[in-house]
Parts: sequence; C-alpha cells; structure tokens
Amino acid sequence: MDPVTLGEFEQIVLMSIVRLQAEAYGATIRRDIETRTARRLSISAVYTTLDRLEQKGLVRCWIGEPTAERGGRRRKHFALLPAGGRALKAAHRDYMAMATGLEQRLKAL
Amino acid sequence: MLDRVLLAIITRALPSADREWMSGDLEEEFLRVSGHHGRWTARRWLVGEFLRNLGRRASIPKVKFMNWIDLKLGVRMLVKYPGLTMVGGLAMAFAIWAGVVAFAMLAPMLYPSLPLTEGHRVVQLEVHDAEKNGDESRILYDYTVWQGSLRSVTDLGAWRNSGRNLVLPGVETKPVRAAEMSASGFQVGEGEPLMGRVLTDADADPAAPLVAVIGFGLWQSRFGSDPAVVGKSVQLGNEHAVVVGVMREGFEFPVSHDLWLPFRPIRTQPAPRSGPPISVFGRIAPGETLETAQAELATLGQRVAADHPATHQHLEPKVSPYAGLLGMGGDESVIMSAIYIFVLMLITLVCGNVGLLIFARAASREGDLIVRTALGASRGRIVWQLFAEALVLGVLAASVGLVAAHFTLKNWGVPFLEANIGRLPFWWDVSLSPLAVINALALAIFGAAVAGVIPAFKLTRGMSDKLKQSSAGSGGLQFGGVWTVIIIAQITATTMFPGALYWERYQLSRVADFDYGFAADQYLTAKIDRDASTSRETIGQRLEELRRRVAAEPGVSAVTFVESLPALYHPSVQLEFPDNANIPSPAYARLAAVEPGYFDVLQSPVIAGRTFTAADVQAGSRVAIVDQGFVDRVLKGRNPIGLQVRFAPDEDAKNAAPEPWVEIVGLAKDLGVQAAVQPTRVSGFYLPAPPDRLKELYLMAHVPSGDPASLSQRLVEITTAVDPTLQLSAVQRADQVNSDLVWIIGLWLQVTSVVSAVAVVLSLAGIYAVLSFTVSRRTREIGVRVALGGPRDRVILAILRKPLVRVVIGVFVGAGFVLAAGAALRTTSFPGSELPITVRHIAVLAGYMVFMVGVCSLACIVPARRALRVEPTVALRTE
Repeated sequence: MDPVTLGEFEQIVLMSIVRLQAEAYGATIRRDIETRTARRLSISAVYTTLDRLEQKGLVRCWIGEPTAERGGRRRKHFALLPAGGRALKAAHRDYMAMATGLEQRLKAL
Repeated sequence: MLDRVLLAIITRALPSADREWMSGDLEEEFLRVSGHHGRWTARRWLVGEFLRNLGRRASIPKVKFMNWIDLKLGVRMLVKYPGLTMVGGLAMAFAIWAGVVAFAMLAPMLYPSLPLTEGHRVVQLEVHDAEKNGDESRILYDYTVWQGSLRSVTDLGAWRNSGRNLVLPGVETKPVRAAEMSASGFQVGEGEPLMGRVLTDADADPAAPLVAVIGFGLWQSRFGSDPAVVGKSVQLGNEHAVVVGVMREGFEFPVSHDLWLPFRPIRTQPAPRSGPPISVFGRIAPGETLETAQAELATLGQRVAADHPATHQHLEPKVSPYAGLLGMGGDESVIMSAIYIFVLMLITLVCGNVGLLIFARAASREGDLIVRTALGASRGRIVWQLFAEALVLGVLAASVGLVAAHFTLKNWGVPFLEANIGRLPFWWDVSLSPLAVINALALAIFGAAVAGVIPAFKLTRGMSDKLKQSSAGSGGLQFGGVWTVIIIAQITATTMFPGALYWERYQLSRVADFDYGFAADQYLTAKIDRDASTSRETIGQRLEELRRRVAAEPGVSAVTFVESLPALYHPSVQLEFPDNANIPSPAYARLAAVEPGYFDVLQSPVIAGRTFTAADVQAGSRVAIVDQGFVDRVLKGRNPIGLQVRFAPDEDAKNAAPEPWVEIVGLAKDLGVQAAVQPTRVSGFYLPAPPDRLKELYLMAHVPSGDPASLSQRLVEITTAVDPTLQLSAVQRADQVNSDLVWIIGLWLQVTSVVSAVAVVLSLAGIYAVLSFTVSRRTREIGVRVALGGPRDRVILAILRKPLVRVVIGVFVGAGFVLAAGAALRTTSFPGSELPITVRHIAVLAGYMVFMVGVCSLACIVPARRALRVEPTVALRTE
C-alpha cells in the first residue's frame, strides 16, 4: 500500500512528534517548530494539523496524567502510528531525492 | 488579575471536551511568551490565538440549532424593518457604548500594568509606618542600605519630582515636569534616546556639570524639534543644564515626566529617616519573585530597625508591582463588579425594550412560525432563529457602539480623567484594548439573549395548540406581565431622568454662577510653586519684588497673595469660645490665610471693626476677621467684634497645651471661602499672614479695566525675571478657576441628556409596538364593533386603555421616585442637599408628567388611525 502523501506542515509536525517522543503535546510541538524554523506559529494551526493527521490514521493521541505545573490539568499527547512513520519516511526520501545535488545551486539562489 | 480574567474568558470559549488540555497548552505558552517578550505581547498573542481558534472549525462546539440561514434571515430582517433596526440598534449601541467606555476608563485603575517588555518585573519599594498607618517617604537612608545589600531586586533607582521653570529665549517660560532620577530609570523604563544619550551614574556626581535629558514632546513643543539641541545649555529655574539627549516618543518614566536630571540628593551619608521625600524602583532579579524579594526586604528592614530603633522601630519596607503606584485602593473585584452590575442593568433594561419591539415584529410573523412548526421545527429551533436575528442586530449595535466608544475615548477620555486627577501616568491607556472589544461582543451576546430569547420563549409557548387552532391572527397571543413591567419600568426611568438632569443643571449653574462677593472677572490669578531649597526670607523678598513690578504694569491697580483662591477648597477648622461667651463649641469654619491688604485689593472693605494691618502679621499679634456667614451660622447674629476664639484641640491631642486666644477684630462680607460645589453656606475665618508663610501660594492682580487675561504673558515674563525658580501655573481669571469643574459637569449633563433622549425614544417605540400589535391582534373585534355601529371614540378608548394605564402608572412611579430621591438627598450632605422641594418644583414635575403622557399618546396616533380605518367586511373575512 502506498504511503499517504503529506503536506509540508504535516511533515514538520510529524518530525516534531518524532523528536519530542513522550513530550509531544500541543504546546511543546508549537514551541519546537517555532524555535527551529523561526516561524510565527499559532497553536490553532498545530491543533488543526494534528486533527487531520489523526483522521488520516497517521498519529494517535491519549490524555495524560494531571500535572501540578499546569494546575492539575492534563495534557493531550501524540505519537506516531506505523502509517505515520511510513508516510514521513517516504516524504523524507522524496525530499532528499529531489534535494540531492542541488546544494550549491540552492546556496546561489 | 487581568491575565486571569483573560484566560478564564478564553478558556470558556474552548470546546468543553478539549477545554482541559487546550487551556493547559494556552496557559503554558502564555507564561512562556510572557517571560520572553513581556505581558502585553503575551496578551496580544493570547487574544490572537483565541480569535484564530474561533475560526478553527474542529474546535468550535457544534451548534445544534442555529445555522447560517438564521443569521442570513437576521440580516434580511434588519433591512425589512428599518424602524426597528434604527431604534433597537441605536439603543443597544448606546448601552454597549456605555459598558465599553466604563470598562476602558476603569481598567487602567483596576488592572494597571506597564506597557513594557519587562513590565511585570518592575516594582516599587516603599516603607510603611505601622505606628502612623501611613507611608514614610524620607527613605534616603533605607535606599542606600538596599543599594548595598538587596539581591532579589536589581536596577535599583530613586527619583523625586523636581518641577522647574524652563526658561528659553523667545519662548514663553513654563514649568516642566522634571524628575531627578537615577540612571537605572532609563533601563527599567526601557527608554532609548532619539538623539544623544541618557543619564549615567557619573552624571549623579555633585561635582559633575549639570546635564538634562528632554522628552520627545518637550523637544517638539518647546525646542521646535531642533535637531541640534544636544549640547545646548538651557536654564531650569535658576540653574543651567546641558542637554545631553532627547528621548524617543512615549518615554515618560517614572510617571508622566518630560525632563530628567541626575538624582543627586546624597552629598553625605544620609541620616536615618531624613532628607527629601523620594520614591524607589527596581526590577525583580531573574529567578526571584515578588514574595522572595519581600522576604529579603523584610529581613533588611528588621536589621535596620535593630540598628536604629529610635527611627525605624515601626517601619516596615515593602515591595509591590510598580503599576500599582497610582492604582485604585480597595477590593478591585468589588468595584468592577459594582460597575458591571450597573452596566448589565442598563443593557437589560434597554434590551428588554428592544425585545418588546422584536416580540411585536415576531408576532406579525406568527403564521410563518406556525408553518415552520408544522414542518417539524422544534421550539428550540425557533428560539435559536429569533436569537440569531437579535444577535445580528446586537453585533451591528456593538460595531456602532465600539466606533462611538473609540471616538469618545479619543476625544474626551483622557481630558476627562486629566481634569479629575491631573496628567495621566504613562501606563494609563484608555484606548480600546482587545479586552474591551471582547467585552463589547460579550455585551452584544448578552443583549441578544435578553432581546431575542425572552420574546422567543413567550412567542413559542403553546405553539402546538395554535397549530391545532390553525387560526393565525385570531388573537391568541397577548402581551404578558413581563412586557407590562418593562414598559412601566421604561416610562418610570424616562420620568426620572429629568430629575437627574435638573440636579446636574443646578450644579452647573451654581458653579458657573458662583457668587464671589466681589468683581471676580476683574482679577487675574495664578498659582505659584516655590523651590523648596530657597529660604523663606529670600522668597519673601522675591514676592515683594514680584508684587511691586506687577502692580506697576499698566491697568493693574493692586496685587495680593493668598493661600487659596475664592471658590476653591479652604480647610475646615474647629474653633472654641470662652465658656462665658455662651456660644456652642466646637464651631466649624473654613480657614483663609490672607495678606493684610486682601480686603482692600478685593475692594471689599470690612463691614464692621477694622481690617488687618501690617502690624497684625508680626509675632505675638493674634487677630482674626470673620465673614457674614460666620456671624449668621456660628454666632447666630451676635456682634463678633472683640470676641475671643481659638483652635480647638484635636481628639488625639486633648492633653496638649491649648492654642492661644485670638481676638476677632473685623467683619467682612462673604467672599467665597467655600468650594463652588459645596452645598451649604459656610463660615469664613480669616487669619493674617505674610506671603512667605502661606503653605500654598496664589497671586491675585486687580485689573479694573480691560481683560485681565491679557496680562497673562506679561505676568509670566515678570515672574521669570524676578525669580526663575518661581513656577507659575493656572494663570486665569478669578471667575474661571472652576472651569474644569464646569466642563466635567457639562459633560455629565450631555451624557444624561443623551440617556434621557434614548429612554424617551425607546418608550415611544415600545408604546407604538404595543399598540400596533394590539390593533393587529384585535382587527376582527374592531371590525365587529364598527359593523354593529359602536361609537368610534369607544372603539379608540378600548384600544388605548391598557397602554395608557401603563403610561400613567409609569409616570406616577417615576415622579414618586424623583420626590423620594429629593427628600432623601436633603438628609445627606451631598451637593444639592440644600435644595428644598417647593411648590414650583412639584408644579414643574406635574407639568412634565402631563407632557410625558401627551408625548406617549403621540405614539398611539398611527395605530389608532389604523384601527379606525378597518373595514368591517375585511375584518370579518380575516377569520
């Protein structure tokens, strides 16, 4: 079965989930993307993308334990499903295939 | 507090299923943004997130009943019923405007915060005197201790006001709001120079040449935006300073200053609890909190108290957020709640009336609603439809209200606050904030709920029965008790507003037409502030020189100095008489300290006895003059000349040595020793004093012919020439000293007039709606009556009876409230309490009641004419 095609922002969110592992939830994902890409990012955009990824069967979510630093409120954590992993790998492979050999030209742009 | 409210509002808007984790994420990110970029940036971010979240379909709770078609229908209704749109929309807009303006004006007082990136870390450090239950501002010694020891507060600095005249060649000399401030104030206040540099610690060295930094506004207004101003020498009072920098626009730290000088009060090691009053600021160090800073400060305070028990035994240092420097005391939530309850009451009343109009409109569509019910629409669905229609009107009204509020705040907000409390601190922003916009939208939704949901429930009650009757328009629907109460309440309020208008108009005329007792329009007055460092003798000599030179000006006949001007506040004193004088003690009077020539300058010689002489201001002389009010009120008409009187001891100083007796030597007419707003006549008690002994200092120059105001510029020039440290302000005619007050009362009068007009229009619209509804409901009955030959006047009476009864009840209840409020006012000491309720007042009120009934009857004309045009054959066919 062909892996699902991912949009650019979906790839970024999935990579952030892979990086954050157990600490992947809305606020940390937004922070991670904002810090690494220097994009001004709304948390709503992250939620929307996470919803979409969940509907596509690429990620799963679960509600964590109450946390003292959030006044007893729980977090909604996200993790990659196998389909998500395949889609991300495929997207990365495509990207690398297209980008390889272009380093000098891209620098010159 | 503001952040908690904001987070709570936004959390409420989140879908309940996701609220817990979403609000946790939002708060976590809010705290992070706040820590990195400051509170205001974080608040803007949060509001942006909220608005974006609203647009995210997945996060919006699914609305089961309302849909876009309802909103579209609401827009069509606005167009189809332009009268209701205009009246209802404007009324709701007015209520929302009132709510938004009140919120915007009070928010800076109740929830102050600094518009600085690190504003939440900026604090003030004070010392509280537990014994006197007040603040001790002579804290120079404490400041030096804190500077050396305090670790949890960084960038510690101090400042004090240093109002001075800015003397520039060819430009009118005016006082500037200067601050002597530590260099760290520029870091704490996040100030960047536009040109040159800010102050440095080296500038504070007393041996260094005096330098000054000027504010952007001052640079524009007084220096003509001179690009070469840096490096120039300017005269400040009797000193010269070199301008080393111009600040960027907006920098006014520490409060609302426009010129900065180095803070140099420390020439030697200061003694505990000595030196000039100063204020201290700083920033909470990274990793520290307000609580840890307070704990460290308290420890330092205890150490100082142990070292200096004589001065510091009862002193307690404290640290608090800087923005609270001029905040409102008391429980802020109570104040805000009280104001909000008032706003909600106003909007409920207004929207209740709008609901009446919507009800009448919806009633005419009863047939449509019955058909919708027949097609399967539930009651909830129809309620949502009517709510959506009201919501469209409410959102339109909120837009108009917000524009009006923006215009009001821009044009009158700051002037109104400044007329009441002086120049505003730099962090007081009375413009429309995102929170104020959210507030307006919340009011619009609340208003729509009142105006749409209540009529909808009333209208849809028993809809299935009506369906069975299948006789739309047969008269089953009626106005109920709720609408009766609303109409009566509206007319009651409409009747009461003129009472408030009359009271405000009375206050205005009393202040504007205040009886000064002398020709106040012939006097030029000015407030004079002196440099505290100048000796009394020098001040005395300079004032004599000022008097001589002003009096020598053409047109000026005489000059005098007083402690307070006529029609302004005079302090109240408690007096007592010898036991054998048989005069009740203590007696209360208003104290006026004046020069010996005061009564001659005012061309109001004493009525009896003698005036003050130069000898009366010498040591050992104890004489006083009283006014006619004193004789009438305290002495009950007795001759005052020769009576002995003295200041009564305070309650907490009963055992102190008694004050010396003073002999009353003269009687003057009433010359305005009371504030113009003071309701009752007061007793004036004059004591002689040379000008250098007056606590406050005002100049009065008599200009018998021509406009005294034309002397203003010359007065400033002469004062600057005599002594550049004398700061003149409020240069105006004596009869204009209350012009600010007149403006404020006038503004209230205009607001009340608009409120009254809105109330009258709503009343008329409400009555019109009721009658139109009644006629449409009773078409068949009217037709039968006319067909059977019923007299037309009876038909009209039958239609008008109920609405007119409501009008009459409302008018009488309103009149009763006005009379009760007038009677209650007389038992208080509020302004207006001296107003007796006379036959004339009752006659005016009765006339207004008749007028109101007449005006309300006008609203009946169109429906009544419509009723009489009903053709019996047509009416009978409606069955």
